[in-house]
Amino acid sequence: MFELSTDVGNLKELREGDFSAYDAIYLGDFSCPEYPNNFSSHAELLEAGLQHVHARGQKAYLRLYAVPGNDDLAWVGDVIDTALQLPFDALEVHNLGVLRMLRERGCTAPIHLGVFGNLYTHETAKVLKDFGVTRVYPNPELSLDEVRYIAEHADVEVLVPVHGKIPLVISETCFILEHSEDGAEGACGDGSCSYQCTQDHWLKRGRGDGSRADWSLKDTGRMTLSGKDLCMVEHGGRLADMGLKHFYVHNKGEAPGYAAAVGRIYRDALTRAFAGEAAPDFTPALDALAGLAREGLCNGYYFEGAGQRYIGRS
Amino acid sequence: MVMMMAPGGTLEMAKTVLDEGADAVYVGVVGWSRRGAQDELNDDEIRHTIDYALARGKEVRVVVNTLPSSTELPMFVERVERYAGWGAQGFMISDLGAMRLVKERLPHVNVHTSVGCGITNYEDVRFLRELGADYVVLPYRLSVEEIRQIKGAGKVGIEVFLFKTPSGGKICPGKCNMSSYFSFRRWLDTEGKDHFFGSASRGGDCLRVCQTEWNFNVDDIDYRMPMTIKTNPALWLEELPDYLAAGVDCLKVPGRDRSAVLVRDIVRVYRRAVDAILETDRPDLSVFATELEILRGRWMTERNKRDNRLLRQAIDESARVSAAAAAVTQ
Ligand code: SF4
Repeated sequence: MFELSTDVGNLKELREGDFSAYDAIYLGDFSCPEYPNNFSSHAELLEAGLQHVHARGQKAYLRLYAVPGNDDLAWVGDVIDTALQLPFDALEVHNLGVLRMLRERGCTAPIHLGVFGNLYTHETAKVLKDFGVTRVYPNPELSLDEVRYIAEHADVEVLVPVHGKIPLVISETCFILEHSEDGAEGACGDGSCSYQCTQDHWLKRGRGDGSRADWSLKDTGRMTLSGKDLCMVEHGGRLADMGLKHFYVHNKGEAPGYAAAVGRIYRDALTRAFAGEAAPDFTPALDALAGLAREGLCNGYYFEGAGQRYIGRS
Repeated sequence: MVMMMAPGGTLEMAKTVLDEGADAVYVGVVGWSRRGAQDELNDDEIRHTIDYALARGKEVRVVVNTLPSSTELPMFVERVERYAGWGAQGFMISDLGAMRLVKERLPHVNVHTSVGCGITNYEDVRFLRELGADYVVLPYRLSVEEIRQIKGAGKVGIEVFLFKTPSGGKICPGKCNMSSYFSFRRWLDTEGKDHFFGSASRGGDCLRVCQTEWNFNVDDIDYRMPMTIKTNPALWLEELPDYLAAGVDCLKVPGRDRSAVLVRDIVRVYRRAVDAILETDRPDLSVFATELEILRGRWMTERNKRDNRLLRQAIDESARVSAAAAAVTQ
């Protein structure tokens, strides 16, 4: 009927969390190879992660590092070599070079293009299909109509994020370490990371009059996310009518329990929507989701406006 | 022979840089390049630029590097065919699908991949070359060694900007949607092209939201004074001989959105510098140091003015939308 997926960075989070609301798990943090025991950069942990997910009847997709420099290609290649020996249901790439490496290595597993793959048109999706890409994550700036157009005209699966903070920009180094109190002590990339990203870091536009900032962003170190949580819980019927089937909840940077709570709400809402049930009163769901979203909810770019706007159903 | 390419943000600037010694000029098409309309050219101006360049044995590159909508691609192809027909020898493109369409229809034109392709390594470059790229533009932050590795990875023209940022930090341009997250308005022109106001990637001009003052706080505690969240690139010169030795084929003077006078002066200095490097094995670039320092200062001043103007637009647009939303919910 539909697939609901989310992301989990490492084995500890995978074991301790409740991801039973999801059909599939994207394993790894594609933004930071130094994130503790990140599946994306620890070939030796892949098998255990995969087994954990498969044992629960879920699909396991492996996320590969999104922005490798020349010097990273060797270790990314090692992760790929290990992954290709394992029955992953798909590998996710954000980088054209990594996509090419997969082809060179004869990858037969499905390949998903991730959010930083800069996918805007169906013609680009067609190019990528020739490289083995079966699913694309259209750039968050696209409207729902543009997303649907790609799905229909490139004959490719599209991943539609329905909830969570939107990845807005990725970095090659860690913004948190670069601006932490310890200064350069834990310089990014030198192996001395102090994992300050386990605390919540926010960017708020300063206001001279001291009033509440009107712009906010969340920073996870090597990625900056929307301050608000994308929320499409009211629009499940519309997504179903559009023929979209692959939905995703962003979990990176969230507290334990977030993915479980959000997943339950969406599992219920989407199941009803796909069964053709009349739209229920969304107030309780919205209240619960708003309670998890410190800076409020937004609809992203789906309805053709600035990403931080929220538009209700009516 | 290295090609020096300079910006034509206006028709006047386009002619000026060609007169001052640029080998090629690059011009953006209204609605189709990653700059606002004031720094792009209409079709008459593009045709005029092409005629002007061809009459002087020089080249024109047309910048069509927005990431468009799928439904805009037929319009895109029509445009590219038109400019190629007028004599433009190359195009700067970000969208992979658009790139392939151009190469299928016009195999003889030069395709330059744009910063929108977000290259980070030599495998990216191989991918793009196999797709038909003739030149790849590298990000502002690569070292000479990285460029050498990329050049060694395959036969493709290497293009670098004559300004750079320290490595690290947010990947800009190429992987950032912060501007449109806060301020974004879609509107169609009379030809049906969406101008995507506020989108850095889609051509509506980045509104430079990273350059406002941000408080960075941890668990709600502010530790630092407000700051901007991305460093800006600066003009460079000292490493130019190394870059050329590493195999750079095309040097790109930035500045479509700067004044024609500033761009003219930058082109003058770089023309002399490049000629000096090409003429001798041991060029003395120290003679340019003072001029370069002054140009850096002028560059920064103009950039700050531009950033303030764009940021003002971002704040106004975002406030307008919030006020409209508040009015609806009341
Ligand atoms: S200038 Fe700033 S806001 Fe604009 S694309 Fe770059 S990092 Fe993003």
